[in-house]
Amino acid sequence: MVNKTADVLIIGGGIVGCAAAYYLVKGGCSVIVLEKEETIGSGGSSRNGGGVRQSGRDPRELPLAMHGIKNIWPTLSAELDCDVEYCQKGNLRLGQTEAQLRILESLTQKAVACGLEVRMISGDEARQINPYLSEAVLGASWCPTDGHANPLAATLAFYRQARRLGAVFISGEAAQEIRQSKGQARTVTAAHGVYEGGTIIVAAGLGSRPLLNTVGLDVPLQPALLETLVTEAVAEMFPQMLGTAAADFYGHQSARHGSFIFGITSGYEFCARPGFPRSSAAAASAACRSILAYFPSLADVKIIRSWAGWMDDCADHVPVISFAAEVPGLLMACGFSGHGFGISPAVGELLSEMVIAGRPSLDLTELRHDRFVMK
Amino acid sequence: MKRYDVLVVGAGPAGLSAAVEAARLGLRVAVYDENARPGGQLFKQIHKFFGSREHKAKIRGNKIGEELLQEAAAAGVEVMLNAAVIGVFAEKEVAVRVNEQILCRQADALIIATGASENMVNFPGWTLPGVLGAGAAQTMMNLHGVKPGERILLLGSGNVGLVVSYQLLQAGCAVVAVVDALPRIGGYGVHAAKIARCGVPFYTSHTIVRAEGVNQVTGAVIGELDKDRKIIPGSEKHLAVDTICLAVGLSPLSLLCALAGCAMEDNPAKSGYVPLVNRYGETSVAGIFAAGDVSGIEEASAAMIEGRIAGLAAAQRLGFLTQEDLDARVAVQERALASLRQGMFAPGSRGQTFTATTEGCPLSQNLLRQGYLTDTELSAYPGVVWAEGLHPIIECTQNIPCNPCRDACPKQCITVGATAGQITALPIFDAQKGCTGCGLCVAACSGQAIFLVDEEAGEITLPYEFLPLPQKGEQGLALGRSGQEICAAEVVDVKTAKVFDQTNLLTIRVPVQYARQARFFRRAP
Amino acid sequence: MMLERGDIGGYIPAPDDDLLVCRCEEISQGEIRRAIHDGLFTLTELRRFLRTGMGLCQGQTCGRLVKAIVAKELGVSPAELEPITARSPVRPVEMRVLARNQEQKNG
Repeated sequence: MVNKTADVLIIGGGIVGCAAAYYLVKGGCSVIVLEKEETIGSGGSSRNGGGVRQSGRDPRELPLAMHGIKNIWPTLSAELDCDVEYCQKGNLRLGQTEAQLRILESLTQKAVACGLEVRMISGDEARQINPYLSEAVLGASWCPTDGHANPLAATLAFYRQARRLGAVFISGEAAQEIRQSKGQARTVTAAHGVYEGGTIIVAAGLGSRPLLNTVGLDVPLQPALLETLVTEAVAEMFPQMLGTAAADFYGHQSARHGSFIFGITSGYEFCARPGFPRSSAAAASAACRSILAYFPSLADVKIIRSWAGWMDDCADHVPVISFAAEVPGLLMACGFSGHGFGISPAVGELLSEMVIAGRPSLDLTELRHDRFVMK
Repeated sequence: MKRYDVLVVGAGPAGLSAAVEAARLGLRVAVYDENARPGGQLFKQIHKFFGSREHKAKIRGNKIGEELLQEAAAAGVEVMLNAAVIGVFAEKEVAVRVNEQILCRQADALIIATGASENMVNFPGWTLPGVLGAGAAQTMMNLHGVKPGERILLLGSGNVGLVVSYQLLQAGCAVVAVVDALPRIGGYGVHAAKIARCGVPFYTSHTIVRAEGVNQVTGAVIGELDKDRKIIPGSEKHLAVDTICLAVGLSPLSLLCALAGCAMEDNPAKSGYVPLVNRYGETSVAGIFAAGDVSGIEEASAAMIEGRIAGLAAAQRLGFLTQEDLDARVAVQERALASLRQGMFAPGSRGQTFTATTEGCPLSQNLLRQGYLTDTELSAYPGVVWAEGLHPIIECTQNIPCNPCRDACPKQCITVGATAGQITALPIFDAQKGCTGCGLCVAACSGQAIFLVDEEAGEITLPYEFLPLPQKGEQGLALGRSGQEICAAEVVDVKTAKVFDQTNLLTIRVPVQYARQARFFRRAP
Repeated sequence: MMLERGDIGGYIPAPDDDLLVCRCEEISQGEIRRAIHDGLFTLTELRRFLRTGMGLCQGQTCGRLVKAIVAKELGVSPAELEPITARSPVRPVEMRVLARNQEQKNG
């Protein structure tokens, strides 16, 4: 039986939990992180395309993305003593039809209204930026300050640095129940022990929902399957982050390594069967067809690995980052809906501010947990 | 999506055996293999197999492969080559790469028989060209007719290392050393003796310190290990070699089982990460079977039996065989498997140290360390009877599952075990039964451990598998069991016959006092 | 298995640390040992952090070697370590080939 106490107890050893742990120990708090899997970063943190982008984001979470890209990502490798492969060479969101261009147009207008430098460009302009693009591309949105990083390295770098600074990580330890003491969230019962914290942060991806349920809270999260493809390393081709209006794939070439990583969708991710996330033969093939329609010159590049994972898709597709007024001492960060990686350092920093200063430096009102109103 | 009753992944001994059993019972069976040729490792296993008749003993692996392919064709099995299975997905969906496309196929039963891959060890220089797996060397020689090098260091003295060493010699390479970190030779004594008498030295309790060379291997340094497996300072020895073959074990190629969602375990007794299987080879996923090395490293003979069992069980699952029929047939296979899994090298004997045979004969420590029996040790074994006139000397001194010598003798001079299933007993030669000196036992012995000796005439008939064959009347040297030169020798007879299956019988004459020692003929340079 | 990711002592260089372990991604024994002492305790974490076993052979060559190093540094038996997850395709496939598969289930 393990019995441990810390200022802050974090449930979830993904990139959000690890980043929060890092900023909290840096801020002088003692921290325990509980991760249910044996490996750190087993959920969405290791199953995403590595986008660090602002364009295409919902205005409610855009400020977090802009803050992170302006203030955190450029120096993150130095700060974490690890090359997280951050590459800020812009983001092309591609369209092949007029209807797709209208989608991009609408997103671009919203982002511009929020102060983001992003614009629509023609197919030829896009091909000037990325000469590998096929003639099928009619136009794109172009955000030069977007980019990408390596989510596996970034997650483990936050973990490693937090651990070096004294954060306690226990993996293979599944939290089961949050308990209150005198009206305050206080303890977490897990498979092998009971843990106590002055503040409890729930950053457990899809697992957040049942945990929050144990203290009478609910966040509308659903699993959605995301599949990922990785290629062999090839010579450097292009540095931009890629996305499409059709949302059939997104991805980039790793700056340091040379492999391409693609997040892919098959159109069936919302009805994937529960359990261990399994990739399918059909989805990988469908994705290759999509990708080659944009980038014919990748035809001979070999796929060496594919994998699948669950996104914690929130009812309105933006995360919940919020105190729970009903349960003082409880903080939640979940529902990142498949686009949490790029904002995760900012979220970690904001969570540490919420614990240490009592409030975040950015307005997170629109990401509160009680925003879901029935019609 | 095209569906089969049974899909088999891997056209090696296990996969083909499974396919044949299932197809013979009327199931629609397809086998996929990523290689251009079927047979798995069988076609490069040009040595004679051990076991008894039911295990296809004394038949060479390549011949067994041919037989299996004929059986598969006759049974209507669809064998697809150059067909790499790239994934197993839900509902037994198999994705196969064939030429320029991916085919997806489903089956009601899936038999995974993907075999094994070679283990690697790393030492300074291990990435130099010239360092390769022993299995890879075997493929080069026996399938492609290419010598892997001229002067070879072989690391690992298990059966793979010993068999490949012998085949390297057959291919005309010099095997400069067989090195093993363990204090004992890991494979059968008879395999070791076969190469020791050709002059190959064994270095047990030794390891590679480094491979030398800039663009390719130009030499190697080995060193002796102390009890803590640290190199003893000053024991380093330089060997002039151009090739280092690694025979340091095999690992089950079980990724597809894991992908299919089968419950797995890391089991050192099975040499690695394997699916959990029941008596029929069925994994935790109903209808998915594993057979052969993929579920635990053993000999090809065992893989064939496991394959048959899986094929039968798949047939039962699909209603082509009753449970009673299945159990009756499986019981026969299990008996065959049990008889193979006996003796001092059996999977269940791993980690045990033996000092005597089950008959109570002391085990030759020299054989275990140096690869050969000394003259004085020899007489302790029941196959060694110094009788008058021409008779066999059976230098078979360890309990291994093998009895072709018994079946080969038309006069029943040789017995192996009191009962038919007992095949690990040492062969006993009975001089009273009237040996005619036909030499069938010499050719039949998969371990090449039987010699016909006529002490009075100074004539020794030995098994000989090197080309070109010496000619009658040719003068050369007789080598002893350790490979040392003993005396001059003259070839007095060379016999080849179909029934010998390419093990030629070479009769040499030496001065009579050397008749008990001379065991190999070295041609004059 | 629960891992209380405590301190296992600092990384102490060994004479054979420059020995290459993962050929595909060119990772040395020293890099692996250093990462383990920095808290990367599982085979999966090492894969993700260093790319050991993530190259063309997908760990078929170095899997055992990496496992042995981790087991030794953590003082456990290699068989106790949680294995890495199998991924398709188990053989590298060109995107143009993978794209040529239009088959559907139930069809």
